[in-house]
Amino acid sequence: MTMFNKKILKLFLTFFTIITLNFSLPRLMPGDPFYFLSGEQGEITVSYSDEEIQRQKAYYGLDKPVLVQYGRYLVNLARGDLGYSIYFSNDVWTIIKNRIPWSVSLVLLSVIIGGFAGTILGCLSAWHRKGPIDNILYSTMVFVSEIPPFLIGILFLFYLAAQQGLFPLSGGMTPFADYATWMERLLDIVHHGFLPALTLSAVQMGGFFLIARNSMITVMNKDYMTTARAKGIGTARILFRHALSNAALPIVTRMFNSIGQAVGGTILVENVFKYPGLGLLMRQAVLVRDYPLIQGIFLTVTLFVLIMNYAADIIYKRLDPRIV
Amino acid sequence: MIDDASHIKRIFNSGQNICPPNPCPVLYGSICTPACETSWDTPSGPALQAPNREHILGTDDLGIDLWAQICYGARNSILVGIGTALLSSLIGVFLGIVSGYFGGITDLIVTAAIDILMAIPSLPIMIVAGAFFGPSTKNIIIILSFLSWVMPARIIRSKVLALKEESYIKVAKGYGASFSYITFKHFMPQIFPICATSFIKLISRAIVSEASLSFLGLGDPTSKSWGLILNFALNFRGIYFTDYWKWWVVYPLAFIIILVLSTATLSRELERVLDIKIAGQ
Repeated sequence: MTMFNKKILKLFLTFFTIITLNFSLPRLMPGDPFYFLSGEQGEITVSYSDEEIQRQKAYYGLDKPVLVQYGRYLVNLARGDLGYSIYFSNDVWTIIKNRIPWSVSLVLLSVIIGGFAGTILGCLSAWHRKGPIDNILYSTMVFVSEIPPFLIGILFLFYLAAQQGLFPLSGGMTPFADYATWMERLLDIVHHGFLPALTLSAVQMGGFFLIARNSMITVMNKDYMTTARAKGIGTARILFRHALSNAALPIVTRMFNSIGQAVGGTILVENVFKYPGLGLLMRQAVLVRDYPLIQGIFLTVTLFVLIMNYAADIIYKRLDPRIV
Repeated sequence: MIDDASHIKRIFNSGQNICPPNPCPVLYGSICTPACETSWDTPSGPALQAPNREHILGTDDLGIDLWAQICYGARNSILVGIGTALLSSLIGVFLGIVSGYFGGITDLIVTAAIDILMAIPSLPIMIVAGAFFGPSTKNIIIILSFLSWVMPARIIRSKVLALKEESYIKVAKGYGASFSYITFKHFMPQIFPICATSFIKLISRAIVSEASLSFLGLGDPTSKSWGLILNFALNFRGIYFTDYWKWWVVYPLAFIIILVLSTATLSRELERVLDIKIAGQ
């Protein structure tokens, strides 16, 4: 029980740090909001008189002491109010809400597909340990797991989409398309999402492969494996029923932990394929310096990752009876 | 007790084991020499030329030689890589030793900081920090170091925790040895292999992070880093419908991949030779 409380405390502390960081970053930054509101350097700018600046500051509560501002920020957050986007002229949370499904489905799909493919290849590799299949698979996977995902994405984009014309170049679905049935719509979305998902799964696969292979090799040396083989059961049954079910624990944990990593990869890959998720939105927000939106996305993404990490802890405990 | 020299000897004695096909030294060598007299920031020929004798990797949309840009970008990548690795190793080693040795409230604070930084996904925080503090090579190094000192600190802390209980350290302390004496005489030689391996790992990670940031357009806009070349190329209208990508995109991409893979194999080999395991994040 104390262990559980400690985890909760840690989660809370981490989230609190992120909120505080989010609050203090714009205030630590050189310059002030009026500089950015009045335009870029060198442009013809609208200048504010002192009186106007005072009025604006009072309106946004910037004339209050920092602690009061902080308190107000926390209250607003608790109400689910992330602020108002300057560029899109809309509520930040409304904008983010529309983008979440794209990103989350990409992250989850890539972890699931990459996880399954990596695990199966890892089992294969462990079974043929030290043989030619293992050697080839192992060295390829080590390399694949080191290459940053957005580079693989660019390669896919130029070879499969631009050169071969197999996939659309950008976007999440065909703009202004009329779909006769929901099936057509779904196919269009799958067609657009295929390359981003493939890229991210390819990178995830490397990590899963290495973990699955290691875990399987440990299990393969156990006595009950020798027994199973002596009984004359088929290879597939030994591999997947006897070995994999005992080697699955680290793989499942990895699945949840790698969601955190996948988020970083997704932000970059979305920008390669101009996929309409949170990553693309974040870059747009950075380019137009829409600070409330940047902060809102940051908060959403980190909260998602923290919750997933916490879920990994809980699931690990459920699956492994040895941990109290 | 093992001293510094024997570790270095172990690295060099196994010289032939450090992957012979590793192109890392070759790459550094070819880039650090002033290989190209062509300018990296002014046009030196017709725009969008395919690789030819004059421009061995072709030119971009402004007619700037790509090989010159890649040479210059390498300097940037390596500067960010080594700068970040140095800064974050310094912070990480110091905090790791201090929190492991003294324990108590210092340890509590450092461990909490490590836990928090481990849990936060690093790319979003880099983007946010880059957006707020403005893109410059110095800022990128500072941000990356702030996020990556955790890796050496965590391992070194646990190593020091174990070492602290050794009898020779206790004896030295009994004779009145100071913290700095124990650190430099006893801890440092033991920690050295961990430092070396994590140093290379940090370089590799920093290079990838810098390339990602500048690909997103958050790198230093005044210096042509590899990620920025890719950013410009992908933002060029019609890049998908022409053959320009065959040199404009492929070469910078290939150079990033080669550099990342070679540092990665180097760190793997180092781990194997020095027989330590640093769990990747």
